[in-house]
Amino acid sequence: MKKTYLVNDLIWISFAFVVCLGGLKLGFGSFQSPQAGFMPFLAGLLLAILAVADLAQGLLHKWERDRPDRVIWADIHWGKLLFTLSALILYTALFSTLGFLIGTFFLLLFLYQMMERRSWTTVLIAAAVTTALFYLTFKIGLDSQLPRGFLGF
Amino acid sequence: MDLINQLFLGFAVVFEPLNLFYCFIGVLIGTLVGVLPGMGPVAAMSLLLPATFHTSPVASIIMLAGIYYGAMYGGSTTSILVNIPGEAASVMTCLDGYQMARQGKAGRALGISAFGSFIAGTIGIVGLVLIAPPLVDFALKFGPPEYFSLMVLGLTILTFLTSASMIRALMMATFGLIIGTMGLDNISGLARFTFNIPELLDGVGLVPVVMGLFGISEVLLNIEMKIKREVFTTKVKGLLPTLEDWAKSIGSIIRGTVLGFFLGILPGGGAVIASFVSYAIEKRVSKHPEEFGKGAIQGVAAPEAANNSAAQGAFIPLLTLGIPSNVVMAMLLGALIIHGVTPGPLLLSQHPQLFWGVVASMYVGNIMLLFLNLPLIGLWVQLLKVPYSILFPLIILFCLLGSYSINNSTMDVAIMLVFGVIGYLMKKISLEAAPMVLAFVLGPMMETALRQSLIKSKGGFSIFFTRPISATCLILAIALMVIPLLPWFRRPGVSLEREDVK
Repeated sequence: MKKTYLVNDLIWISFAFVVCLGGLKLGFGSFQSPQAGFMPFLAGLLLAILAVADLAQGLLHKWERDRPDRVIWADIHWGKLLFTLSALILYTALFSTLGFLIGTFFLLLFLYQMMERRSWTTVLIAAAVTTALFYLTFKIGLDSQLPRGFLGF
Repeated sequence: MDLINQLFLGFAVVFEPLNLFYCFIGVLIGTLVGVLPGMGPVAAMSLLLPATFHTSPVASIIMLAGIYYGAMYGGSTTSILVNIPGEAASVMTCLDGYQMARQGKAGRALGISAFGSFIAGTIGIVGLVLIAPPLVDFALKFGPPEYFSLMVLGLTILTFLTSASMIRALMMATFGLIIGTMGLDNISGLARFTFNIPELLDGVGLVPVVMGLFGISEVLLNIEMKIKREVFTTKVKGLLPTLEDWAKSIGSIIRGTVLGFFLGILPGGGAVIASFVSYAIEKRVSKHPEEFGKGAIQGVAAPEAANNSAAQGAFIPLLTLGIPSNVVMAMLLGALIIHGVTPGPLLLSQHPQLFWGVVASMYVGNIMLLFLNLPLIGLWVQLLKVPYSILFPLIILFCLLGSYSINNSTMDVAIMLVFGVIGYLMKKISLEAAPMVLAFVLGPMMETALRQSLIKSKGGFSIFFTRPISATCLILAIALMVIPLLPWFRRPGVSLEREDVK
């Protein structure tokens, strides 16, 4: 049993069901006069049919053409992955409050250190230089409106 | 004569200093992202899109187009020297290019790849010049049913060719259609799936979706792998192919060019598919197929020619019909719309400077690329030595800032992260992102065309089968869906996990 593919199909079927309901709530209309929910409903229905077909095919052939679960999820550095994602979410949430310079500096500090262990001096310098280069490129070069943050820079 | 006048107009446009500068920047960045694994032309184009807001539409499209065909050139370098395709369309170049490098023929492989690309790119542009204007007249006959059916055909071709499982590829395309319905309904103005978030009223942006699916997901995926890179730096010499090399390769280059060009025009086709198919054909027509995979120069020349001419051919449906044939063209479509230009049959008459300027820039860009890729090969090789531990934080930061600077909104960054995680999970279980992105872009157009057609026909689906162009497209699409069910059929199995797009 390849649980990953089974779960995958079940997720798609549930998602398609929700989309169909959303489509109906928006108003399907009729074929003569399609309304806002027309396309979402049809697309949801199609997705449900395809996901059921994929599930049926998987159950019949025991997912023999797919990679086993142990291969898909082998050798994942969950810690690194989750830390990176958490850092990115935190950066996004605090971007406006901290401002570009402070937020980016700390994000880079974290990413450089996490990707490969280096001395803190090297990482501090690398993060500061990269932040400055990005600031010059985006703020000065491309005239992007980067947030100043609570410190005003 | 008129054609020549138009071409002169194009050259006058491209030789304006600003346009020339943008053309150079485009091909330079294209080569750079082609060389560096982990960031493809789509991510680079998304990133630079906001930078083009302050410039003219012509300069902006010239630069973005340059990134695309520049990446086709640059992608071969990593394939040959490191055995890692810098860009998905260069996957096939790895097979023989890397073997040539191991045999001390890296220079000749790089040389034939650059010259082959140049020849194919140039012929591709000639094809574009000759085919696009007549196609415009043909495109004027298109109504909503034809547009709808053509888009269905495009998506079907892409799903047919890109994945080992057509059902899963179609699932991804349907998912893209659903994401495309988010935001205000074009016809009734009703908000759909916006969850009371004002930023979602305009729908989900293409740039955050693409950067998440192709940029962030790639980084997340690579965090868990250890990639061993062995760069053949000491053996890069003799970049000019010998007469024997030319004799062996010229036929392959011509075949690759013609095939690539027509596969590029095909909606749903593109550079990646072109390179796979041309390699397979070369192996089949060769008198020594056993040499393929062991350093056959034709195995480098053909796919490189094919992916470059496909890159030129792909502009035809976009510039004449307003329909992007792949994800890169979808990005260009987005850029044109942002600049207030509607691609389609009227583009040629309403914006001749843009049309011919972009075409002429490809000639100039191809020459620039030849100089960038041969004499400067040493520089690109040095870039290959940049460790991933330095590269990935930079890619992440580019994606974060690129998404943010589109609307100065952290919501776009959040959307990008969500699609980054979705893209990562999709890659883990081999679900293709390309059909999803193309469907996401085509979705709103398809919906409008479908609803308009149904209103016109008072709810009858026969309108799609009584009009010849529409009927042909739909019959072809149905045939492509039925073929995999036939017992004797073996799927092409071309995986675009790192699509043209990457």
